[in-house]
Formats: sequence, structure tokens, C-alpha cells
Amino acid sequence: MRYMLTIIGEEGGMEDATPEDMQAVMAAWEEYTEALKDAGAFVAGEGLQPSATATTVRGYEGDERPVTDGPFAESKEQVGGFYLIEAGDLDEALEWAKKIPARGGGVEVRPVLDYDAFAAGSASAAEASN
Amino acid sequence: MQYVLAIIGPEGDWQDVSPEEMKASMDAWSAFEQELADAGALVAGEGLQESATGRTVHFAEGGDTTVTDGPFAETKEQLGGFYLLECADIDAAVEWARKVPVVAASAIEVRPVMDYTQFGFERPKRTAEVSS
Repeated sequence: MRYMLTIIGEEGGMEDATPEDMQAVMAAWEEYTEALKDAGAFVAGEGLQPSATATTVRGYEGDERPVTDGPFAESKEQVGGFYLIEAGDLDEALEWAKKIPARGGGVEVRPVLDYDAFAAGSASAAEASN
Repeated sequence: MQYVLAIIGPEGDWQDVSPEEMKASMDAWSAFEQELADAGALVAGEGLQESATGRTVHFAEGGDTTVTDGPFAETKEQLGGFYLLECADIDAAVEWARKVPVVAASAIEVRPVMDYTQFGFERPKRTAEVSS
């Protein structure tokens, strides 16, 4: 089963970091990513540029789709990156999430959709696909 | 350059949706993903189960973690899925975002992935495989 680990927290904080600090932070993330890969758990993952670089496309208003600068919500905490991982169950995914070298904020862990069950709309389909 | 399209919106009540409407929706998403794949733009992408199925690990200063049920923030709109796309620039990424077949109340946040070279680092080798 695949799980999405969404990394959420306050932005910034690295402006005054020394090159050595940056190196240590990068090394911690690389070590974590390598551990995921070694375990065969890594599917995808990226850090994101700050939310100020975002562009948001809204749903249709008539035939129009309004486009605005900035993130969907101007909240203090923003998504800073994600991992998509393969894990046996939610508890295993949580163990991976706890090891993320975040320095505050949180990591939201969510299972991906089971499309077979979704399309069939029945519990039996969910069981058959597991 | 890679861009994340984060799909955000109210969580739907699919119990009231007819099988025909469900199929039409699934077909629209499949057609969109096929277009992405044909253009060589699709790196990864998943829909997520609703936020109530999730848990959140909170990080305190000093490294302690606590786990709570549900999403990070109990807001009306929640992350419903994402695409990771390879695009020439953000305009191209926004053009793809305009084609995402979401319902009216939803939105797509487009964000470039981190440019590690600005910190003097090479870009880490990240994505291992293309999503099925």
C-alpha cells in the first residue's frame, strides 16, 4: 500500500544558517531518503520552493478558471515537501514519518486511494484487491 | 523543472453519486492522466483517501514526536491528491493545472520543487519510478 507523507510547517528559518548548518540539514534529509530507498519504500519525494512561489488555479466559475498568485491558503504553516512511500500498513508508514528530520511542524500520513474499491463502490472489491 | 500540483478541496460525499456519474468522473481523470503521460510530463501522482483516514506526526523542538488521528489541520478543504510533473516553466505547469478535472469548489496549487543548487548543492536524485 502506498502512503503520502506530507511535510507541513512554518517557512523560513534557514536565512541565517551557515554553510555548515545547511550541509548538516541536507545530509540528514539525504540520509533519510537513502534509508527509504534501501528499504525499498521510496516511490517519490521532493522538497518544494516557498509558498510565495506558488500559483493557484481555482475551480470553474462558469467557463472561467481564476488563477491567483500564492498558495491556496495563506496560513502560517505550509506544505514544504512530500514523500510517497510503499509500506505494509499505516503503522509502518507512521514509523517512517517519525524518522523524518523535520525541526517542528508535522507530517500528515495518508493512504492513497484504492481505485478498485472506489470504482466498484463496494467493500468486497476492497477485500479482493488486498 | 518539476512542479507539484496539489489538489485541494472539500471532501466529497460519493455515497450520493450514481455509478454513471462516478464512471464519468473516473474517465475524465483517466483521460487527463493519459494526456500527461503522452506529453511525457507525468512523473508521479496519486489520489488520497479522505483526511479522516490519516494520522499526523507532530515534531516538538528537541525531536520528540506525538501522533494524532486525522489531518494536520481540521479545515474544510483538504489535500485530495497530487501530481508531480516535468514542465518547461510554471506557465506550462499552470496550463496543466487548468485541465485537472476537479469540481468547482476545488483548487490546484502549483509549486516548483526546491532548487538545491541555490544553496550550493547538486540536485539530489529523487524520483525512483513513474507512478503506475
